[in-house]
This record gives sequence, C-alpha cells and structure tokens, in this order.
Amino acid sequence: MKYLTIDTTTKVTALSLAQDGHLVGEGFLHTGTTHSEKLIPMLDQLLNAASWKLEELDFIGVVRGPGSFTGIRIGIATAQGLAQVLKKPLIGLTSLDALAWAGWGRPEETVVILDARKGEWYYARYRYLQTMVCVDGPMAITPEELMAKLKQKKEQFFLVGDAVKGAKQYLEEKLGTQAVIPLEHHYLPRGAYAACEAWAQWLKVKDDPDLADKAVLPFYIRLSEAEVNYRKKHNQQETGSC
Amino acid sequence: MAETENITILGIETSCDETSAAVLVNGKDLKSHIISSQIETHRKYGGVVPEIASREHCLHIKDVVEQALVQAEVDFSDLSAIAVTYGPGLVGSLLVGLAAAKAMAYAAGIPLLGINHLEGHVYANFLEHPDLQFPILSLLVSGGHTNLILFKGHLDYEVLGKTRDDAAGEAFDKVARALGLGYPGGPYIQKAAASGDAKAFNLPRVMLEPQSLDFSFSGLKTAVLNILNTAKMKGENVAKNDLAASFQEAVVDVLVAKTKKALQRLPQVKTLALAGGVAANSLLRDTLAEELKNCGIRLVYPSIELCTDNGAMIAMAGYYHYLNKNYASWKLNAVPGLNL
Repeated sequence: MKYLTIDTTTKVTALSLAQDGHLVGEGFLHTGTTHSEKLIPMLDQLLNAASWKLEELDFIGVVRGPGSFTGIRIGIATAQGLAQVLKKPLIGLTSLDALAWAGWGRPEETVVILDARKGEWYYARYRYLQTMVCVDGPMAITPEELMAKLKQKKEQFFLVGDAVKGAKQYLEEKLGTQAVIPLEHHYLPRGAYAACEAWAQWLKVKDDPDLADKAVLPFYIRLSEAEVNYRKKHNQQETGSC
Repeated sequence: MAETENITILGIETSCDETSAAVLVNGKDLKSHIISSQIETHRKYGGVVPEIASREHCLHIKDVVEQALVQAEVDFSDLSAIAVTYGPGLVGSLLVGLAAAKAMAYAAGIPLLGINHLEGHVYANFLEHPDLQFPILSLLVSGGHTNLILFKGHLDYEVLGKTRDDAAGEAFDKVARALGLGYPGGPYIQKAAASGDAKAFNLPRVMLEPQSLDFSFSGLKTAVLNILNTAKMKGENVAKNDLAASFQEAVVDVLVAKTKKALQRLPQVKTLALAGGVAANSLLRDTLAEELKNCGIRLVYPSIELCTDNGAMIAMAGYYHYLNKNYASWKLNAVPGLNL
C-alpha cells in the first residue's frame, strides 16, 4: 500500500511518501514562506524524485490538528482536493499522535507540546507499550499547569513538539533533570512520524466499507475567539436575568 | 472533434463568506453554479467573522465542488483548467479555496488560473450579456471596493477612480448596523428606505476635487452616525426609515455623478457595466437607467445572484485567462489586499 502524508499544522511543511508503514521519501521545510507557496511544489519534487505517480497512491493521510488554524485548513483542503480527484480514501491523524512516534521505544513518557498561542500549548502525553498509547490529553493547557502536572509525577519526560523550541530554557529550569529534550529535527513535526501514525490509523480503518465517503474534520481543540466571546456574553446575560 | 475542443472551466470562490463553485463551458454555457452561503452563521455576530468563515469554507468546499461537477455532468478529467480567487478577501478564507483548487488542478494535470476577485465581479456581466462590446466602463461597488474601471478589451483595463476611505458597501453595512437593521446591510437599508423619505435628512455628497473620479464615503457615514448620536443624547427618536432612505440616496447620487463624469470624459464608451454586491441595489440600477436613458449608453448589470460573490464569475474571468494562457504557478499565494 502506497500513501502520502501531509502535515502543515505548524511552521514546518512536512510530507512523506511511504509504503506499508515504511518511509520511502520525506519532505521537510522549515522556512519563512507560507505552506500555500511550498506545499504543491514540494509534493511535485518529491514525487518526481521518487519516480512515484499520484495515481499509484492507495490513500492519503492528513494531519488535521491541533496547531495553526490556517495550517490545519491548508492541509485538509489540499489532501481533500487530491483525494477527490484521485478518488482515493483520505484519513485524518492528529498532530499530537503523529509526534508521539518520536518517543518510540523510550522508557520515559513522551510529552508533546505544540504552540497554541495565547499563552497556551496543545498537549498530550504518551507511554510506549509496544505502541504509543495516549495517557493524558489532548487539551490546551498553560505552561504553568503542565509543569505542575509533570513535577508531581517525579519522573523523566521526553519532550517533543514545536513549542519545545521557544521553551527549551523554561522546560529545563522548571523540570531540571526530569526534562529529556532531543535535537530540534527530532522534536519538530516530520513526515516520518506522520507516515507511522497514518499506517497505524490505516490498519484500523481499512476494512470500513464507508471509508471513501468519510470526511476528515479539522481538529482545532479551541473554538474561534468570536464564539468564545459570544458564549461568554450569552451566559452572562442568562446569569444576570436569573 | 467538436466535443474535444470544449473549454470547460471549474471556478472556485471562497474570498469572504460564500463557498461557491461553478462549471462554465466555452465561456458562455453555465452548466452548474453552487453557492453555499454563510450569512446565517455570521448574522448573530453582526458581520463576517474571519475565523468562522474560514472554518465554514473548510467544511463545505469539497461538497460544493462535488455538487458543481455532478450538476454539470462532468468529471475532473473533462476540465480544461481550474480558476480560483486568490485575492482580495479574507486571507484565511482565500487560502481554503486556493489550497483546494491547487490540489485538484495538480492531481488532474490541468492548469491553475489565479483570478482577481474584482475582475470576476466585472466578468459576471459577460455571463448574461455575452455580446458586450468594448470599450466598457465598469462601476464596481462592493463591501470592500468602489471603482470606476475602463475595460479596453478582455483583461485589458485601467482603474480611473477608487475610494479613498470606506467602500460604498462598507458604508451600507456600518450604517445598517448603527440603525440596528441587521447584516448584510445593503438589502436591509434598501428595505427600510422603501418606506422612508429620502429628503428628510440633508446628508453630504462628497465629490472631492472637480476632476477626480475617486470616491469618499466615510464623511457620509459619520454624518449618519452623528445624527443618531445627537438624537440619542437628546433622548429623541430618529425616523430610521427616513434616515436609511436619505443615506441610500446620498450614496447613489455620488456613484451616479462620478459615473456620468467618467462617461462624459470617455465619448467612445457606449456600455456601462455595473458590478459587485451594491450593483444589486435597485435605486442605483433605476437611477442609472433613468440618467442614461437618452445618452445612447447601454446599461447592464448581473442578476442579483451574480452580483454577490460567486464561482460563476470566477470561471468566466478564468475562461479569458485560459485563452491567454495566463497559468498560475503552484507557488501562487493568497493576496488579501490584491488590487486591480
């Protein structure tokens, strides 16, 4: 089974070509330009270099969030558009689940943190038990809350995700020897991680007869600011009238 | 042989709050036209919320395109190219349509055509009036733009005038909101104005310098807001329908005066094409028709459905870009502030 994965949920544009869970080709661009400018040119180059044709793909995996709202949509709209023309199934994966594969085989629990802006991270925690098992999250959480959570456990954590980049010093200060931080190209989103997760998801859903018709929904975790404000205002008014 | 020569364009539009797709054959035969409007979703917020608009586009783009193809009885393999709006508009919204269009065109092995939304509005006229003769003067009036544009030929144009502050449609929206009339403002103002006295309030008609074809509507908007604020402070009631009617007439007076000035300067132009959301306003249509009646100028405007944002107009403009081989690069990015 040949497949493509697309991840544009962070500042990294990450693509993979893979076969039966094995990575065949990988694209990684961490530049200042937008996903919109990079994505199709990169896919085209990768396919050409690998001598793969789009038509050979059996399915497409797309990372559907959490992460940058705009990035989530570019990834989904692109993957959906490709799948629609090729008439191939599309499967969705979360950015946190994909990055968890960075911690494969490690004795520590793997903590994935992604930049959620507004002073928060998207977070989930995983334990390696022959496969990666989610033990906490996914959720949006403040760094302070997460640190309190991790300190309490008094064990080491393998820390990955794009939020590690800006918070390396903070994590080391707060967690001391509890923090195990890999190299940057290991903790950022990678096509390889998405390829692993996409294969795991594929094995779960491949026999679903309705697979071809299933839509991949964005996984934002957060509501839009306007919705949050509207709900607040609405609730306050309700409370006021009681 | 004849069938293989068909030029079939899929047009995609997601620049604001409508997700739309259409299939156009040979620049004249509109095979399908799907518009999924988000007006109801945004109404409770009193205007378009960009993040919500983007989310809605992402949920609907696949089905909208699918429906357009099914209704037109074509498949991706029948398409010659995909035309998509890349600006101006809300960046998050634009990016959904652009990403989808790029992926589809790439996978189908056909060219991508990047379309300026404003150009699309003017081209909506060619859908219903394929016989239009150049040169054409276009008055483009929408929520984001107010332009007088001279079209010398297909895709060959010059902007003669533009707004220096608020667009006409923007003034409609803001005044409607201040009057508590609802969103979108244009239709509500028109409805309220229908039972109002347009002479009740003396509102400014800002004409700028005598030679200028530019527009300015912020002073008019402020005048309306001042009337409302003054009344509020005095505890008086304002006759809203009268104010709406007076406001609408002031906007139309300026648009018509500037258009007539442009036409006087361009004796070779025998066609005026209205375009954009405000082109749906019946006072504007009727006033222009009345004013141009004896001038030998043909006035055209799109039907109401084609005045608002839609994929058909993008396919129409796309057809001419396709003929000119103006293919876009896969690197094409959304340009929210794109000009003509």
